[in-house]
Amino acid sequence: MEGMPMGGLLTSWFHFDSLAVLMISVVGFLGVCVLGFASRYMAGDRLRTKSLLTLGAMLLSVMAMVSADNIWILLASWMFANLFLVRVMIHNSKWQAAKAAGQLAAVTLGFGALCLAVAFLLMSQHTGLVSIQALNASDASGSQMTMALGVLLLGALTQSAIFPFHTWLLSSLNSPTPVSAIMHAGLVNGGGILLARFAPLYLEVSSLLFVIFALGFLTAVLGTLWKLMQHDVKRMLACSTMGQMGFMMVQCGLGLFPAAIAHLIWHGVFKAYLFLASGGTAQEKRFDLEYPPRLRTVVLAVVCGVVGSFVFAVASGKVWLAPDTTSVLVLVAGIAAAQVALTVLRKRPFMMLPVGLGVTSALAAMYGLSVQAVAMWLAPMNLMQPQPLHTLHIVAMAILLLAWLAMVLRRAPATGGRSQVWRRHAYVRALNASQPDPKTVTSYRPHYPRS
Amino acid sequence: MKPELNIEPDTPKPEINVMVDVTLRKAIEQGWQQIAPFWPLENLIAVNPLQGFEHKPIEDAWAEADHVFRNPHLPTEMQAVNRETIKWCQAFLDEGQATVPMPDRHLGFYHAWVGLAPFDRRLNVRAAGMKSWLANLPETPEAAIRKGLEYLRIQSKDRARFLGLLLTTMPGWAGYVKYRTDWAAKGRHAYPITQTDYLAVRIVITCAMWPDAHTLLSLFPREIPADTRRDAQQALDSMAIREAEYRSQLLGQLSRQSVPTQPSSPKAQLVFCIDVRSEPFRRALESTGAYQTLGFAGFFGVPVRVHNQSTGEVYDSCPVLLSPQYDVQDRPRGSDVTLQKDQAGYRWQSQFKRLYQSLKYTFSAPFALVEAMGWVNGLWMAAKTWVPAWAGRLRRRVSGALRPGVLIETCTDNIHEDDQAQVAENALRMMGLTRDFAPLVVLCGHGSTTHNNAYATALDCGACGGRHGGSNARVLANLLNRSDVRARLKANGIAIPKTTRFLAAEHNTTTDAVEVFSAEDDEAIAALKRDLETARDMNTAVRLQHLDAGHAPTVSAKRAWLRSQDWAQVRPEWGLARNAAFVVGPRALTRDLDLGGRCFLHSYEPSQDPDGQFLTTILTAPMVVAQWINCQYLFSTFDNAAYGGGSKITKNITGKIGIVQGNGSDLMTGLPLQSVYAADGQPFHEPQRLLTVVYAPRDRVDAIIKAQPVLQTLFGNGWVTLANVDPDTHTSYVLSRSLRWQPAS
Repeated sequence: MEGMPMGGLLTSWFHFDSLAVLMISVVGFLGVCVLGFASRYMAGDRLRTKSLLTLGAMLLSVMAMVSADNIWILLASWMFANLFLVRVMIHNSKWQAAKAAGQLAAVTLGFGALCLAVAFLLMSQHTGLVSIQALNASDASGSQMTMALGVLLLGALTQSAIFPFHTWLLSSLNSPTPVSAIMHAGLVNGGGILLARFAPLYLEVSSLLFVIFALGFLTAVLGTLWKLMQHDVKRMLACSTMGQMGFMMVQCGLGLFPAAIAHLIWHGVFKAYLFLASGGTAQEKRFDLEYPPRLRTVVLAVVCGVVGSFVFAVASGKVWLAPDTTSVLVLVAGIAAAQVALTVLRKRPFMMLPVGLGVTSALAAMYGLSVQAVAMWLAPMNLMQPQPLHTLHIVAMAILLLAWLAMVLRRAPATGGRSQVWRRHAYVRALNASQPDPKTVTSYRPHYPRS
Repeated sequence: MKPELNIEPDTPKPEINVMVDVTLRKAIEQGWQQIAPFWPLENLIAVNPLQGFEHKPIEDAWAEADHVFRNPHLPTEMQAVNRETIKWCQAFLDEGQATVPMPDRHLGFYHAWVGLAPFDRRLNVRAAGMKSWLANLPETPEAAIRKGLEYLRIQSKDRARFLGLLLTTMPGWAGYVKYRTDWAAKGRHAYPITQTDYLAVRIVITCAMWPDAHTLLSLFPREIPADTRRDAQQALDSMAIREAEYRSQLLGQLSRQSVPTQPSSPKAQLVFCIDVRSEPFRRALESTGAYQTLGFAGFFGVPVRVHNQSTGEVYDSCPVLLSPQYDVQDRPRGSDVTLQKDQAGYRWQSQFKRLYQSLKYTFSAPFALVEAMGWVNGLWMAAKTWVPAWAGRLRRRVSGALRPGVLIETCTDNIHEDDQAQVAENALRMMGLTRDFAPLVVLCGHGSTTHNNAYATALDCGACGGRHGGSNARVLANLLNRSDVRARLKANGIAIPKTTRFLAAEHNTTTDAVEVFSAEDDEAIAALKRDLETARDMNTAVRLQHLDAGHAPTVSAKRAWLRSQDWAQVRPEWGLARNAAFVVGPRALTRDLDLGGRCFLHSYEPSQDPDGQFLTTILTAPMVVAQWINCQYLFSTFDNAAYGGGSKITKNITGKIGIVQGNGSDLMTGLPLQSVYAADGQPFHEPQRLLTVVYAPRDRVDAIIKAQPVLQTLFGNGWVTLANVDPDTHTSYVLSRSLRWQPAS
């Protein structure tokens, strides 16, 4: 069969490199889980078969998208995947709010697709190439190419719900639960995958890396803050996804594309699970973490955090305290390790210190290995390119650390009078900013379809 | 920093505080009358969504409810008002979802909100004067309502109606507020809310967003449109045909039964809850041997507050119409060492969850959490989806390793001695079990097991306030096994043989497994357990025909169990769907009949209740609960959007208290689509009003109705149909809406 023209076409349109194989496996795994869930969860729904088929078509489009080498194939599969997504999101078109949410997604994602089209046009015009491999190997200098990469970045930002393109995601919860699961695990990651696909080009343009980093960081902070404020489980998960997408972009902006891919994979799986399990939220008992802890507990936890960050660095093949952008990831690992230690040391900090060190080291090693597994798989692509530390990175690291400390050390809310004006003002601003688009809320009960 | 807004609570406006506007209060009260309470997911209690209209004939109530709850048109401005109200209700009424909650909730809804409203740009604060108007809201919610009514130019004759419309245009959230104010333990909540608070916030938002809101009055005219009335009448008429068919069939069957006066001598007596799901199980069990079964409200007449000694959890376990009288403790059977072990196991469980939550609900750490734990969740997701049975067993094994499943016992020491005998005696007399005790008497409560199910407690025991009934069964069994209690009972004419043992048990309605709480395991108990297993096989085989047809009956118990473990299962069991009748009488009346799981069965021996005292209780308490359930299923089926919960497929849990649809909506009260529909467009529940059949002398029933206004309302207004089977002649009669008996045709 080798000589067949079809085979030749396949190899010129698609390229099954380690990233493609990895993403196809992940999408396949998620698809199998979510479709299995949906087939039972949607029992009795008159749109069940149609939804399952559309979901299947969407998954195939995504698989084509991650393995495309021809930019036009990439664009086509990108558009098809999003088209199927919007269809399956709306589900019941008699529900006006769901339709409005679908339209909002269609407009945002449509704009993203347009960006891709424009960027690809510019690229192919400038270089005469349509193969991504060839483009990545070509000379990226020149303002037209930078512009193309900038426009392409816009497309990536819309897809991954990066500020200011986040509203479609926060308004997407009229979708059936399994659709949300696959959307938050799959299609929002499109932006990260797109950037990783063109990583060699982006690594040449450090100014764009800064833009990616800055917008990603802003989104990470906003998404996390909003997540902590939400009152319903699905919007909380959506805000959390937004924050995680921001962090993924941060990793791209740091030049650590394999880390970004690891993040989007593990986050995707994690979030898909949380969506599918969201029916049990009411039974989940929230524990009092007894904040703020005593000072010595915090100090000892930070010691554990430092040890944990070291273990993480070793396990993930990084140099501890290296003066490059990997230190941002090491810091996040350190914060998480300190947080773990804080809970372990809660009651008797000194006595529990050995346990705390043991638990944090074990978890940090597990964490490092799960990241390293993906990085090693992608190693042949040579996308791990730590950048020198910049003031911007240091400021961001300081914010990550301070925000975490503020959460841990904040006092219990006042029980006497009113809280300060700035606090109330900030609360209302953030609450409003994290609301879905007004048209996508079912503001009158009889407007919800009867069956 | 000095706040520039004049909203601090320490700047009182005495002239308003002193003035009491009686007519306004009345208007507020009248408005709230139309709203039915909504119990939270923690203990979903079935409620008639038209509860506020029950004082009217059902034809009027139905039409009026159609008019205010199902009107398809609402101006976009009012929709915006709803949206902002939803936002603030979600924020204030959150019971533990948000990590960073709404500030100042301890001040109460109105006062907390007043401090935030001036910053809310969605409330038109950019409009001229609106910001300062919002910043200068009155001190009390009542004054705010008055100010709002003036601002909106509502005439005093329309006040009650307008305030009512503010509530009925979003009945779910108002229903939860009503639960909080009228039913939840009053005054105990850290974040108080009153009905006036809610209306005040609602009307102020209305002022801010829709100054012409008086238009609502003409959109929902006082006079109900003729076509609405016609539609309501049609719905009722078609229902009445089905009801009449069912009634003549059931009464025909019942009047043909012979009720022997000489009781048999069974090897065991089992008391089940009146729940419709007990009926087919009782029938199955009776077919396995000489068992006598009885029906009684599943809290077994002991209104208790249960304290779990291992977990520290505390909850009321009794009908919501009662308040708990006694505190009892659930703990693992055995010495204090056993208890301490179990507590330690629970602490370990909590510690893992706490660790996870501390990483998830904070800043910065979640980025690492997902990367570190993603693969674990992935494997678990695949297992739960593709091998749910294995995942279920693994879950049980892991939790069993931390907390080995030990027998739970309930400590009744806190119940006063005199009360112990009194409670026990009342229960026995009311269920008509005062002599001919079998060697084993099993008090069998019930509960459900489902997984990933927001509506889990809707399947639990309503008589226990939406909880599992095992603890109540243990309490009564405990009391009846005490020699001092038995001595007192004997003095009062109830002689329990020394050889009689009372056992507690719990029927799992999802799997039909019955757990017998007994440390002893002699031959009699072992035989009982075997027969319970047989009954389980029989009943699941019948039940699964309506859930999971096409499998051999031999695997039905396993498949029913699988449904209880499956996280993707939206119909784990049918709950009380298809409920239709409430039968009060001895088991002999129904024993030979297949009632299809559609009847609440309450045991009643007319000969033991000459003054009708027990019958009064049965008709005014359990029957009323049955009517709430019946109406909930009826209206959730009739219009699942207006009165039900909507589809589970797009549900979203808010504040851990209730369901909204998708991005946000009214709080969706009532049952989800999947609980009453087999598939879209195919209702499984048959909407029909409750038929109550009482096996007792008619004059006794008459006397009770005369004395009880609540019964006159329910029967006279057509919410429940009452029928009577005369114990002497076995002829049956039906009570007309004018409360006159007519022979059943």
